[in-house]
Amino acid sequence: MIWQPLQDPELGCMSYIIGDPTSGEGIAVDPLGALGAEAYILAAQDLGLALVEVIETHVHADHASSAQELATALGIPHGLSHRAPASYAFHALKDGDVMALGQVSVTIWETPGHTPDSISLVVTDERRGQEPWLVLTGDSLFVGDVGRPDLADADPGAIRKASEDQYSSVHRLMDLPDYTEVWPAHYGSSPCGGLFMDKKPNSTIGYERRFNPFLNMGDLETFVAQQQRLLKPPPEEAQELRRRNLGVTS
Amino acid sequence: MTAEELKNLIDANEALVIDVRLGRAFTESHIPGALSAPFSQRGWGAAVAGWLRREAPGKSVVLFGDNKVLAESAQKALDAEQVSVQAIWDGGMGPWAAAGLPIVAVQNVTVDALRQALTDWRVIDVREPYELRSGIIPGAVNIPIGQLTERIGELQPDQRYAIVCASGNRSQSAAAWMAEQGYQVANVVGGMSLWIGGGHPVER
Repeated sequence: MIWQPLQDPELGCMSYIIGDPTSGEGIAVDPLGALGAEAYILAAQDLGLALVEVIETHVHADHASSAQELATALGIPHGLSHRAPASYAFHALKDGDVMALGQVSVTIWETPGHTPDSISLVVTDERRGQEPWLVLTGDSLFVGDVGRPDLADADPGAIRKASEDQYSSVHRLMDLPDYTEVWPAHYGSSPCGGLFMDKKPNSTIGYERRFNPFLNMGDLETFVAQQQRLLKPPPEEAQELRRRNLGVTS
Repeated sequence: MTAEELKNLIDANEALVIDVRLGRAFTESHIPGALSAPFSQRGWGAAVAGWLRREAPGKSVVLFGDNKVLAESAQKALDAEQVSVQAIWDGGMGPWAAAGLPIVAVQNVTVDALRQALTDWRVIDVREPYELRSGIIPGAVNIPIGQLTERIGELQPDQRYAIVCASGNRSQSAAAWMAEQGYQVANVVGGMSLWIGGGHPVER
């Protein structure tokens, strides 16, 4: 398969271009405003891919997105969880949806927690095998960490619910085979994660199962309590960024 | 600019159309006479400018793309090489085809479809002789891509040809060129890697 991460080290953001070399079809995932839509159009061209959709793992609150700009420039759909409260038209993605790019396929898993509209993308390359090869975990599961629960809604009740959802979501991801690569939307020190997020941008399900502290702290209550203890001030302009990424002008 | 205006501009200036889209898009459909030079961020401007100075000095140049970023990036790359571009088009083939203007199109055929209807096609394998050890499609004729221009006379205008290579890239260019010469051609998507990978029969 064709696989190209594009990153912004300043904010610890990752974005991806994934495609099938035979069909020449690809998708861009979580394109960054800092790089601009142009970067993705030209990178896809260099890789020999025609982008057929832009997908976001959730509506981001820590950085500007270029997903809408990219979708408009190429006249392609913008895919988001059906739970995203966006003001523009988007392709509503649901759990179990499969997008086939030739022999590479992308299956949507809804993994709410960081935000209600968080999804993960499970990627399989049928030329290599029938099992998933990697998963893009967005801000659900990080390398050594999990996404914070308070950026979509800072109400204490909402935070608790988000934290409970996050517990289920990251444990659900553990159903994937051990060798599945994990590629989150952040690495290093991102405002969307906490103390334990690794500077390494990727891992595997098996490694995280054994060594991610949040997957090894026992029951739901301990997990929720630990997330509460680690809460920190939101990134500057978080609400404004999320509003802008939702297409809501304030 | 409408597609008709683009056509008039090309005709009036005897302009050279450089198609900067991906090879796949060019093969599927392009303007007759256009040259395929898929834009890339590294080295494209110097390579194309060098070719233009050698092969088409003084020729008016029109860049053909399917989005604004691509067309403008190509223009900037030629500007940097002091090659001026007369016009750029960023609307792709849609408006051109909709206006009923002539196109050169190459069908894509999957390995499964080719296997089903193998007798309808004459298969031309454009790989180099050393690559044939992995096997060829039964009945295929080997014409290495470099010999295609001199051996094109061996082909029949009323025969349908399926062009194959290792992965579908070279066959794409070969098929586009043959279509340009008036032959009925299809490109085998994924080439021998998918034909063999799919368990289809080969001759050695």
